[in-house]
Amino acid sequence: MIQTIPLGRALQETVATPYRDLVTRPTGVAVRGYIQRAIAGSSAPTTMLDFTEVGLLDFSCADEIVAKLLLDTDPGTDRYVMLLGTREDHTEAIDHVLNHHALAIAVVTDPDEPPQLLGRVTPELVRVFHCVFRVGPGDAGSIAETLGWTLERAADALLTLSLLRLLRAEAGTFHPLPR
Amino acid sequence: MTRIAEIPAYFDDKSFDHFAQGFGEWPPEERVLFDARAATWASPYGLVGMLTAAQALREAHREKPLFTVPANAEVGRYWARTGFFKHAADLFEIHGKVPRVPTNEDSDQLLDITPVGASEDVHQVVGRIQERAARMLSHELGLEAKATMGFAMALSEACQNIVEHAGTSGWVAVHLYNFRKRLGRRVIVIAVSDAGLGFRRSLEATQAKRFGDRWGDAAALEAALIQGVSRFRDPGRGQGLAGIKRYLSRWDGKISIRSGTARLSIVPQWDDDVPLAEHLPYFPGSQLQVVIPAQEGGAR
Repeated sequence: MIQTIPLGRALQETVATPYRDLVTRPTGVAVRGYIQRAIAGSSAPTTMLDFTEVGLLDFSCADEIVAKLLLDTDPGTDRYVMLLGTREDHTEAIDHVLNHHALAIAVVTDPDEPPQLLGRVTPELVRVFHCVFRVGPGDAGSIAETLGWTLERAADALLTLSLLRLLRAEAGTFHPLPR
Repeated sequence: MTRIAEIPAYFDDKSFDHFAQGFGEWPPEERVLFDARAATWASPYGLVGMLTAAQALREAHREKPLFTVPANAEVGRYWARTGFFKHAADLFEIHGKVPRVPTNEDSDQLLDITPVGASEDVHQVVGRIQERAARMLSHELGLEAKATMGFAMALSEACQNIVEHAGTSGWVAVHLYNFRKRLGRRVIVIAVSDAGLGFRRSLEATQAKRFGDRWGDAAALEAALIQGVSRFRDPGRGQGLAGIKRYLSRWDGKISIRSGTARLSIVPQWDDDVPLAEHLPYFPGSQLQVVIPAQEGGAR
């Protein structure tokens, strides 16, 4: 189950502005609060932040909304966040702030393609992430076999992706995030 | 006794130090006269600098300064179109005829002089400027369409420095003009100025010890602009100036910040400015200038 939060609406409901721009830290704090309340009030494991109606996104607001949302997420909960409807300038700002904090997030672009990863992800992690997206849930052994890697190498990458909350780990099996 | 602060005939970031020198020890005890009679041109940096000085005098509880308008009527009309006199009327006792000219939507002003004191002001500035910025950046400077969003982002982050760090309000202006002397191309200039704490006082509590004997205005600017340090302990802070630098490196732009007695710049090849100027005449608060040049072959 997925919950989609249109950030354009979140902006209108939290800040009295006629504009569509996510700028300034106070705006980011207010919008993050809106998102966190929505997540807390929903049983959906995945929340999709929809940037479709957003104009400008500056670094300060990207930091407050996306980076701090990920930093604030309780690692013990089974909750995940993905992005939707981002433009090139949005992804650039988000990528910059996530790199700063060594975080990462997935952006859904095409339903048939693997999500784009932003932030601190190595090409190796991207390869494993794409592999899980294409072949479906698997353990370290099956992913290692598919990629022709050692078990340790695949296990390390899968664990890192699950710690970054880009994959869902359950009893040794790694699942793509529900979308 | 009245102290005369002479407005340079050609008032930009280069002649700003001459203007700052006119105040002597800050804050000056005497009433100050801003003598602009001989002025022939002022950049947005010069215009917001004059308002900042007057605001700082007010905040230092000094007598309202005097201001004599430029003798050249055309210069006066240009300054009026930038919104300068609208704000100056509150801060100065103005002498001379102030032209009654509406701000002109078709002029080279991307953003007339606008006060910034709160987050809502940044929303206003960014929201108002985007459409015109898109047109000017592509038509006048030959920049790709995607440069517009980065430009608005840089403007937003520059304005937020006032809201987050100055402790008082400030001013922003964005103009397009021909940088004939230095570059031979058109440029867009963002000027942001406040009369607030300044970088040294803002960062002193967290950074002075680290720099030891080197601590001062220059070291504070280095910490903020080069090292991305912020007074907040929040690890997400300090990314605004980093984001501006990233944008400017892509479009061959220049950033320069003056605070107290120092000015630190990231200087592109087309400019001959020094990266660091120290022991300048003191000026209150912080003054930031961003210059984005027309791409070669892209200027009109």
